Amino acid sequence: MQEFLQLVVSGIATGGIFASLALALVLIYNAMGLVNFAQGEMAMVATFIAFTLISHGLNYWIAFPVTLVIAFAGGIAIQRIVIRPVERAPLLTLVIITLGLTTLLNGLAGAIFGYVPRSFPSPFSVQTVNILGAYASYRDLGVIAVSGVVLLAIYLLLQRTTVGLTLRAAAHHPEASRLLGVRVSWMLALGWGLASAVGAVSGIMVAPIILLEPNMMQTIIIYAFAAAVLGGIESPLGAVIGGLIVGVTVNLAGTYVPFVGGDLQLAVALAIIIGVLVLKPNGLLGRPSVRRV
Amino acid sequence: MSALLELEEVRAGYGPTSVLHGVSLEVNDGEIVSLLGANGAGKTTTLRAITGGVRWTGDIRLNGKSLRKMHTEDVVRYGVAHVPEGRGILTELTVEENLKLGSHLRRDGPDVRKDYDRVFEYFPVLRDRRRLSASTLSGGEQQMLALARAFLMKPRLMLLDEPSLGLAPLVVRAIFEIIKTINESDHVAVLLVEQNARLALDLSSKAYVLEVGRLAIEGSSAELRGNDAVRRSYLGY
Repeated sequence: MQEFLQLVVSGIATGGIFASLALALVLIYNAMGLVNFAQGEMAMVATFIAFTLISHGLNYWIAFPVTLVIAFAGGIAIQRIVIRPVERAPLLTLVIITLGLTTLLNGLAGAIFGYVPRSFPSPFSVQTVNILGAYASYRDLGVIAVSGVVLLAIYLLLQRTTVGLTLRAAAHHPEASRLLGVRVSWMLALGWGLASAVGAVSGIMVAPIILLEPNMMQTIIIYAFAAAVLGGIESPLGAVIGGLIVGVTVNLAGTYVPFVGGDLQLAVALAIIIGVLVLKPNGLLGRPSVRRV
Repeated sequence: MSALLELEEVRAGYGPTSVLHGVSLEVNDGEIVSLLGANGAGKTTTLRAITGGVRWTGDIRLNGKSLRKMHTEDVVRYGVAHVPEGRGILTELTVEENLKLGSHLRRDGPDVRKDYDRVFEYFPVLRDRRRLSASTLSGGEQQMLALARAFLMKPRLMLLDEPSLGLAPLVVRAIFEIIKTINESDHVAVLLVEQNARLALDLSSKAYVLEVGRLAIEGSSAELRGNDAVRRSYLGY
């Protein structure tokens, strides 16, 4: 029982990481109906920026928000420079462009920082604390707290502010929003900026666990896809719930399902993706696409 | 005195298909003007040209300022509220959020609150349903929401595209009554596109009739109402 609880807590921690990246995917999907395959690599680049800042002596808790601001600006820049010129292109073109962006960012990071895995600092110790009989590491609790705060901040921004309202309006009904004076094109850019910043959180949180290198997000993005699909690719709340479920499931399966072990955890995520698409294509919180005629 | 809205030889179309072949019209400050005509005459395209939803040539001026090269959102911010064909309700959002999108650019807080009170006085049903998804509203209620939202934008000019479409006669009468109230109390000019010519002519002071992209007739609403030949051949009643 105790082991089970511990696995759940650390599953929630990794789930928070998946949730952040899944939320980033959902933000862009909502804005333009596009799955941004480069989301993981954007997070990886942001993590390298955080690493550079910290190794130049900047305090972790200063480097963290500074990195998010840089990631935010970077996301906007990518939308303006790379995506906007082809905004009206067919979806497949956009998908190929995000794939190209993935390769580009990965190669750039490799060229600049090399492929040797580096240890990334964590402000939370790996020591454990006893909570109600279960042992949880400070690091897991810290990851849960940071992800929780970030996700809550995004939720409040989207649901409680005017900017969030116009952002949602622009995403769902660009034409009608323009007629209400919403600058739709900038709202798309803002969506990319936010997604980039939220994704960066997942990179910074996961780097101490799996070591920092250009390919580090390539498995994480699969888990994030699973989380986003499970939650319903259009639902921000669904992405968070999906992230937590995927995190806990993968952790439990790795321990309790003998043949899964540590090697097949990724296969569990893929099984979730396929299972959801077959059994409940709209995910847990996604709306079926109904069109009134 | 120059008009609030002036269209001068406006031509517009979709890709290779041209729809308007040189339309000129004027709307004065605080005036209600009807734009009538059969299906496909170019009424909707005229409104879309004004708010930049379709490419056009010629000239369109608001308050003397040309709207050429202005994006839709800038025309709107300049004081035009356009209730489009299909009403433009954001069905993923709540009624209240839809209203808020109408007032989100305004900086006159106390006046905004007063305007909300007035909206809820005109359309009590919107107050009752403000926390519900706008998709749960009936057609008439959605038209009320669209009109309320346009009012909250505090425009100088409202463009209304067939507010009566698909609604029960009683609802239509209520909505037209409110259009008149808003026009009179706030001095908002209205360019009203309607299939229901009788209704529109009762409300407006001036009317234009479009026929396949050209102006066929223009005149005071009273004149057009009284002219049997015009009524039979162009207005169909």
